[in-house]
Amino acid sequence: MPDTPTHYTAFFEICLLLVVLLPLLSFVVSGRIPERYSWAVTFTAPLFLLISTICAIYVFTAVWHHQPYSAKVDWFAIGGTMVSAGIYLNDIAALMLLVVTFISFLVHVYSTGYMAGDAGITRYFSMLGFFTFAMLGIVLADSLLLMFVFWELVGFSSYMLIGHWTEKEEAAAAAKKAFLLNRIGDAGFLVGLMLIWTNTGTFDIVQLSGINEAFSWQTTASLCLFAGVMGKSAQFPLLTWLPDAMEGPTPVSALIHAATMVAAGVFLLARVDFLFTPIALNTVAVVGILTALMAALSALVQFDIKKILAYSTISQLGLMVAAIGAGSPASAMLHLFTHAFFKAGLFLCAGIIIHVLHQAQQQAHEHFNVQDIRNLGGLRKKLPFTFLAFIICGSALAGIPFFSGFLSKDAILTAITIWKGEAFSWKWMVLASAFIVSFITVIYTFRMVWTIFMGEEKLTASLPVVEPPMIMRGPVAILSISSVWLLVDINPFSFEGWLFNTLHSGDHFHIGAISILSALWIVLAVSAAYFVFRNKTIHADLLLNNFYLDKLYFKVVGKPSWSLAAFTDYVDKRWIDGFIHASAYAQVTVAHLVGWFDRAIVDGTVNGMASLSRGVGNFTRSFQGGKIQGYILWAILAIIIFLIWVLF
Amino acid sequence: MHHYYISLLIFIPLLAAAAGLFVPAGAAKYFRYSTLFVNLFQALVLIAMVMEYIPGQGIQLVEKKDWITLNIGTWGILKAEYFVGVDGLSMPLVVLSVFVLLIATISSWTINKNVKGYFILLLILNAAIIGSFTALDFLLFYLFFEFMLLPMFFLIAIWGGARREYASIKFFLYTLLGSVFILIVMIGLYISVHDPNYSGQLVHSFSVLNMAEASNFISHTILDPNNAWMIGPMNARLWAFLLLFMGFAIKLPMVPVHTWLPDAHVEAPTPVSVILAALLLKIGGYGLARIAFPIFPEAAIHFSTFIGVMGVISIIYGGLNAMASKDLKRLIAYSSVSHMGFVLLGLASLTPEGIAGSVYQMFSHGIISAMLFLLVGVLYDRTHDRTIVNYSGLSTKMKAYTALVLVGFFASMGLPAFSGFIAEIMIFLGAFKANSVNGLLHESLAIIATLGLILGAAYYLWTLQRMFFGPYDLKGNIAHDSIYDLTDREYLMLVPLAIAVLFFGIFPQPMINIIDPFAQNFSEFVLRAGKSLTLNP
Repeated sequence: MPDTPTHYTAFFEICLLLVVLLPLLSFVVSGRIPERYSWAVTFTAPLFLLISTICAIYVFTAVWHHQPYSAKVDWFAIGGTMVSAGIYLNDIAALMLLVVTFISFLVHVYSTGYMAGDAGITRYFSMLGFFTFAMLGIVLADSLLLMFVFWELVGFSSYMLIGHWTEKEEAAAAAKKAFLLNRIGDAGFLVGLMLIWTNTGTFDIVQLSGINEAFSWQTTASLCLFAGVMGKSAQFPLLTWLPDAMEGPTPVSALIHAATMVAAGVFLLARVDFLFTPIALNTVAVVGILTALMAALSALVQFDIKKILAYSTISQLGLMVAAIGAGSPASAMLHLFTHAFFKAGLFLCAGIIIHVLHQAQQQAHEHFNVQDIRNLGGLRKKLPFTFLAFIICGSALAGIPFFSGFLSKDAILTAITIWKGEAFSWKWMVLASAFIVSFITVIYTFRMVWTIFMGEEKLTASLPVVEPPMIMRGPVAILSISSVWLLVDINPFSFEGWLFNTLHSGDHFHIGAISILSALWIVLAVSAAYFVFRNKTIHADLLLNNFYLDKLYFKVVGKPSWSLAAFTDYVDKRWIDGFIHASAYAQVTVAHLVGWFDRAIVDGTVNGMASLSRGVGNFTRSFQGGKIQGYILWAILAIIIFLIWVLF
Repeated sequence: MHHYYISLLIFIPLLAAAAGLFVPAGAAKYFRYSTLFVNLFQALVLIAMVMEYIPGQGIQLVEKKDWITLNIGTWGILKAEYFVGVDGLSMPLVVLSVFVLLIATISSWTINKNVKGYFILLLILNAAIIGSFTALDFLLFYLFFEFMLLPMFFLIAIWGGARREYASIKFFLYTLLGSVFILIVMIGLYISVHDPNYSGQLVHSFSVLNMAEASNFISHTILDPNNAWMIGPMNARLWAFLLLFMGFAIKLPMVPVHTWLPDAHVEAPTPVSVILAALLLKIGGYGLARIAFPIFPEAAIHFSTFIGVMGVISIIYGGLNAMASKDLKRLIAYSSVSHMGFVLLGLASLTPEGIAGSVYQMFSHGIISAMLFLLVGVLYDRTHDRTIVNYSGLSTKMKAYTALVLVGFFASMGLPAFSGFIAEIMIFLGAFKANSVNGLLHESLAIIATLGLILGAAYYLWTLQRMFFGPYDLKGNIAHDSIYDLTDREYLMLVPLAIAVLFFGIFPQPMINIIDPFAQNFSEFVLRAGKSLTLNP
């Protein structure tokens, strides 16, 4: 490749290919392993991912803070213009590459314990590999079209993994819902692609970024792309699929529905940031903060541990999206990065709780819903390791100082503070909402920790609960360690570390006052959580049902589509076929009429003529019957008539 | 240099059919294997053809022989030719035909009723289909076109399901109506067009290529582009285009003249459904692109919005109807209506993207629909029940089958990496771009058409949810021991299709190489010719 800088060696390229292709290989190999040897998959799949991760680390160090790497091949021609498929590996992509492979590897390892004995384990690891491949595709794609391809493929793997337990009806419904809502967003994405193609004739991200002027179509196009983001990153109004997606296996929730796939939307926004016009960015900010607020409120009242985490994920994604809207992709990416670790950690902890309680239940032959936090309590004694990990990751989520989440949230708050400007405007509301969201985050996180681990044991008291095997604790330990401030920078109060400074272009950004304010705010929230909300359960059906969005969509979109479908069926059967049958009957009727006419009139006339001539013939024939008496009679009659005629 | 590739493709099945007449009806094996042999032989010829074919050089592998030459005095000379050839439009469809017909023969192995009649009809159908896709003489095309109806009618009426007579008659009448429309236009064109190669004497020509040149029209004839007769509110050329459009739209099928399709599909035996969906529908799209658009380019431009709107209506109406279907085969039949709507939308755009997308869509839908109907057949062979709600949780009992159903369904809903995506993205881009490059279609049409993608996901995923997921259960009168996974023969017909769907989704360029020159010429020709004609009314 002539345009590739020389320092990218063939070794680098091989490593990069390995990063992408090993998960694909894992997909193929896992899928082909015969059922008898299904245990083998628990060795092959993590091994492939391990090598992929090691290669990714090398690729990351080679690219980070260097010139982007790019390579492309011709793919196919659209109307004579060749569209290429290629790789564009810049800093953001390298970072995502690392996050995706690393967390995917940890989840693979964890899954070998969590999914042990599952009947569909080969399918599970196969799809996990496919997901990783598709996600890496999004990360590396150098054109929007290629990104869209992987974008949809990721949606497909998400569908397969949510519905992994095929016998669970809820899982199938949730998988369908996830794919459908994503499809709605993707339709928007597609319209965005059409706009871009019509106006520029290219999908290449580097070429597109060369547009200096702001064109009016860009607002529409960028908002269309944002529709895709709404689907994938569960932003308002397409957010309702993510809580349902928790029907899938918990490691899947950790990897796909918390750490990586749902973050793809944020990644896309960061990648095509240049397309967004100010109006579009403002919209993005408002949608983001609205989502963050709604989901945080919903998280406050949920009872299912995975649902709490799901709403929390939506809320955090909303913050990231808002940060992009506020014009700071660097802070969004920083939060994406830290969130990937601590949220994956939290989900895997939840997975441990679910897993060990299930096992204990089976031993004790007891059955209750282990995901309902009202049934849990006091687990710190039986699960000390999980308790510690949960506390660490939870602290990062809550944004407590000395944890990674504090720094990245600080970056977002700073970004919004700068963006809101000096003059008072609606943008202040966004900032205020962001602070409220971080306050609520503390409260629901605290509530989770408190109800699950503190106090006295409830339904679990009699169960023989033990910590899970090392294979499951290891990944959780690593994720917990990655949730402290050191991930971002050595200084626990500065988010401007290695990551932020590389991604951020522009002025010095950090505002000390925000950090202090934010730290104080968190302390206030923690105390409020402890003193005010500790033993309170908030009852709010509106929030429990996520503002009745599902019901609304069902009434406004679901049901009308249904009636319309039934109507088209009716039109086909009654109107169109009815018309055809009617014309067929009309034809048959006409044919009968013609038939009658033929028989009665035409044939009748002909037959009439025939019988007339026969009658006449018979009559005249009767004159010549050969009877001599007849002849004499007629002769006499004739003579009499003749005589009468002549004489009178 | 003389080529006989196309003639071999057309006449080998006919010869085999003729030879079959003399074989006793009891020799079922003979009929199966001889048909398979014919298909394999055709595949070999096809490979040679593809090697010989040079993309971007217009119509190739031409064979031209005098067929009917009739001197009718002052009326001139009637001349019809045996004129066949392939280009970027027909080549993909010929490839598709040979491939799908081979699969259909494998799928016909289970036919036990009157084997002799079945396979002879199949061979005749084979010849007629390939003939239709390669004929460049209108009379010859029409002959093959009509020739297709008869075997199809009997294949549905004799080997079909419970309501086979109703379905076959409906199919026959619908398409016959379309044929009549086409016939009327053909006669009009015959009167109006002369062969420019004969100066001095008036030689009427049926060649489609001659008809596409405005200069070949005899002045003051009914369809003369410079002086067409007025019939009511429109001139005769617009009427003629509409008649052709209706004729081919019935085949396509387009809403609202589509209701023959679900019935024909539901009643037809599996291999016949496969041929019907994969090949016969394509004749509609092919006829529009080969005959209607180039011969009446100004009408194509005039009606482009109408055609585009009808395409979008088909996409959405078909999708909605699929959602309401209770019978799995009916659902897939309606999804065909929806997908063929894309062909109309792409053609109407008259952009290179849209045209190439339409041809690609015909090819891709051919493979995907063949696969889907075979999949339905697999289940129907086992249980003789296609009611969706009678099944639940099939994935636990039929793992391989479920995997292939997933491939088929997701391919059909246009998931990337499957061939349908490539076709649909090109159509979307072309239809959206049309307004800004040639001012033909409004952008909103492409935007509304994206609803079709959402509907597609909705009806397929809902079907998956109901039939394949959830706890295993069978309702109705389905015996539990009738459920078993795929057999080797079923693998043999499904896996090649799945591979093809994937291949053409990931590596579309070999096929696009063939299609693209045609699409660009076509778009350029129709726009140029069409605009020059409207300038001189």
